[in-house]
Amino acid sequence: MLIDCDIHLGYETLNDLLPYLDAPTRELVVSSGTNGLAMPTYPWNHPSGWDRQDVYQRGDVPTTDFVFISLDTLRERHLDAYDVDLGIVEPDEAAVLSVLPNAQLAARLASAYNDWVLEHFLQEDRRLRGMIVVAAQHPEAAAREIRRMGVRDEFVGVFLPGGARVPYGNPMYDPIWEAVNELGLPVTVHTHYETVGIAGPVTAAGMPDYYAEYHTLCGAGMYGHFVSILCHGIFERYPETRVAMVEGGLVPFVGFLWRLDTNWKACRAEIPWCRRRPSEYIWDHVRFGSQPLESPDDPQQMLAAIEFLRPWDTLMYASDFPHWDFDEPEQTLRQLPSEWRDNVRWRNAQGFFRLPAPVVA
Amino acid sequence: MTPAEREARLPLSDAPAEGAVRMLDVGGHRVGLYRLDDALYALADRCPHRGGPLCAGRVATPVEVRDGTLTIGTPRSIVRCPWHKWEFEISTGRCLVDERLRVRTYPVRLEDGEVVVSLDRPPGSPDARPGG
Repeated sequence: MLIDCDIHLGYETLNDLLPYLDAPTRELVVSSGTNGLAMPTYPWNHPSGWDRQDVYQRGDVPTTDFVFISLDTLRERHLDAYDVDLGIVEPDEAAVLSVLPNAQLAARLASAYNDWVLEHFLQEDRRLRGMIVVAAQHPEAAAREIRRMGVRDEFVGVFLPGGARVPYGNPMYDPIWEAVNELGLPVTVHTHYETVGIAGPVTAAGMPDYYAEYHTLCGAGMYGHFVSILCHGIFERYPETRVAMVEGGLVPFVGFLWRLDTNWKACRAEIPWCRRRPSEYIWDHVRFGSQPLESPDDPQQMLAAIEFLRPWDTLMYASDFPHWDFDEPEQTLRQLPSEWRDNVRWRNAQGFFRLPAPVVA
Repeated sequence: MTPAEREARLPLSDAPAEGAVRMLDVGGHRVGLYRLDDALYALADRCPHRGGPLCAGRVATPVEVRDGTLTIGTPRSIVRCPWHKWEFEISTGRCLVDERLRVRTYPVRLEDGEVVVSLDRPPGSPDARPGG
């Protein structure tokens, strides 16, 4: 049994969403800009391509930063190649909708994306499950979308990108937390679109000059959301809430938890709704995607560094297919102690996303 | 395996152009044949980093800094793994970002107008050069 909690899929162009949009939004998508509505994007480029080069051909016509992966390609290069039993689908460009300045438009596009991915992927291959894309900057609309799609078996959670105007623990997001708590759906916070659109800079140092800098720092937005969620007592107020931190690495979370635990002891009066030491909420409510697994020359250093996270209970295998920094399953698993592997391979994700248990022959 | 089975042969006219690759089966091993600076080189189709299909990667020109000046190295002299984008010298198999890694290379020779790629490396054999 293998569950991959981070597979990226996306449309080829926004026009793919036209059949799922209302007439006024269709008009905007077609008529905006020079050649149709363009999404904001990263100010940097990966120097040799965002995606694995063997899953696409360079063409003459620019589309999005990311490439359209057909279901056939996904099956051939990933699901079948690695015997993935269940794969959690995350967005590519559609992740940017949460940092689009026009929140109403973003909400309509998010709904269309969910309908598109449902029809073209989730209903076509039962190994796939979707994460609901919402316009986080419009929490009421996001909550409506969560309630619209969250009742379907094909969707198993809600996707929130690292890039945001305000950290996700802030009370403005309460409608989103109320909806996921009501439906028992987990939330994945996944690095994406920091510095883009209405999102703040990836760190307070200011704008990095190089993609290599950005990609080293890109988890910073997630760390902000992580600490915000803990300090706002989300897990006290919404006890059914579960959150996964995906593609932010692992080691930084250890340092932030240790520091937050220390600060909580001195600042508890400021955040009295945090009734327990912040790290104690992790074991019941938070899971971590494995990719990118930090890879020092000595793997033992990595294992020692992440042990505090109790990875045997909190780590879920994530490939990040088809991006350039994806981790294939066996390469990830063999870096971990053998007694952790089954949990990381599937059991932790199965419980977190409440997926079907494996059939015992 | 007989000595002949440990080799792959093709007419010199079928050897790849610079910047291209010709895939061969050499005794059951997938090997990519490349041309660089009028010499032929053969690399294993397996990236030593994570086992990716190296020869499906793009042939590229390395970007370098020499004497503080941004410049380029030998044109079309590296292959970039399609999976994680690590770069390897076609002529040596050397990885440009991790000196511990080297992709397996295979000897190439010319024989009676044919290119011969072998699993076995004769001691001191020079690289084959078209017309050489």
